[in-house]
Amino acid sequence: MIPASLPRSFLRTVIAAGFVLALAGCASAPTGQNADANDANDPLEIPNRFVFAVNEAADILVIRPAAEVYRGAVPDPIRDAVQNILNNLLSPIIITNELLQGDGQGAQNAAGRFLTNTILGLGGVLDVATQAGIPPYAYEDFGQTLGVWGLGEGPYLVLPLLGPSNLRDATGFAVDTVADPVRLWAYGADAKNLLYLRGGTTAVNSRSLVLTQIDDLRRNSLDFYATLRSLYHQRREAEIRDREGATETPEFPEFDNAPAPAPTPMP
Amino acid sequence: MCAALLAFGSWTLHPARAQSADAGPSAFIQKLGTEAVNTFAKKDMPRQQALGRFKELLHEGFDVPYIGRWVLGRYWNQATPQQQQEYQRLFEQMIVRTYADRFIDYAGVTFKITGTRAETDTDTMVTTQIIRPDGPPVAVDWRVRKRGQSYKIIDVVVEGVSMGVTQRQEFSSVIQSNGGRIEGLIQALRQKTAQPG
Repeated sequence: MIPASLPRSFLRTVIAAGFVLALAGCASAPTGQNADANDANDPLEIPNRFVFAVNEAADILVIRPAAEVYRGAVPDPIRDAVQNILNNLLSPIIITNELLQGDGQGAQNAAGRFLTNTILGLGGVLDVATQAGIPPYAYEDFGQTLGVWGLGEGPYLVLPLLGPSNLRDATGFAVDTVADPVRLWAYGADAKNLLYLRGGTTAVNSRSLVLTQIDDLRRNSLDFYATLRSLYHQRREAEIRDREGATETPEFPEFDNAPAPAPTPMP
Repeated sequence: MCAALLAFGSWTLHPARAQSADAGPSAFIQKLGTEAVNTFAKKDMPRQQALGRFKELLHEGFDVPYIGRWVLGRYWNQATPQQQQEYQRLFEQMIVRTYADRFIDYAGVTFKITGTRAETDTDTMVTTQIIRPDGPPVAVDWRVRKRGQSYKIIDVVVEGVSMGVTQRQEFSSVIQSNGGRIEGLIQALRQKTAQPG
């Protein structure tokens, strides 16, 4: 979820562009969350579709096959351990964002998980916390924190290799990546290769968890790009609302069963 | 196996009752869900028969014409009656194509009703958890509309993602990339439903 392998220069650019545009976006915060069909919030659709096509090629040629081999060849307990280690490494970011969102209970759960699994779970290899009844991970990131703080999502973006995002979440991702204590430690200890390893493992692991789902979506979509765009938007809104519980639902008017109206001429 | 499912079914009815004054929508979801779980637990059913059962359950539980029209949104009124008719036929085929295999193949899945929430005078959200043998539970909410004494599902929300909204935005994108013509969507649906599943 948080590949740490992004080149720094790229990150700096994203951060700089992100902050400038985010500030500009504050003045005219997009309010397009009423699920209107025409409000895809995607002014950059043409470049986005281009990046999307490149990502699709990378996925079909490299990432999906790697994920398939990973799931087929690596035994379940080892993949579970890998997942546990990756989750545990995300803990500092999750705890920080829970606190920034003012969610004391969430921060406490995440901290409890982190300490339990690090100390009793062999440095995060075993998920002892789940057996101890600590609630599962809620993946919090700085993009969600910005959303909780009331920042609009900004235009939809498809990032190279990282996939669906938007201006707010790309900014959040950059901040999380730069502020990640694991990354800071790795730079200090001159262990950057570990970061690349973590980034690659995260990508393959995440992809291996959704093999059939993505295959299904690809096979059944008329416009896979538009489907993912809609899924991403709705999913992020739901994650940001997670503690409020109130869902924002569109209108479902009752249609009369009268025969269809005469066709209106197209303008 | 059957005894276990029956025990499960009777157990899950109780928490639902406590939540809502009108037990109708949750009882409706309970009945439909139990029927689906029982039907597709039989792994030896021939595929053609399973597909038939899926279509029966689809019509028993969902207002497919309503969903189809809702998904088309404002474009519905721009379509000719012939286009509307063909669209609705293709839309239903799409639903069967997209969801039938998921239901038929997913063995060992159970569910429990976790609550209900009134949305409007006629609509109730029935919230459920789908419990899978090979992963964490999934939160699925069913928007149930009451008409007279009958109930029908008009939207499904999976982990905060509305299937209706997703489909509407996808179809809208297809229409827009075809210059705003509904014929473009119908053509794409024709091609998709003609492909082997």
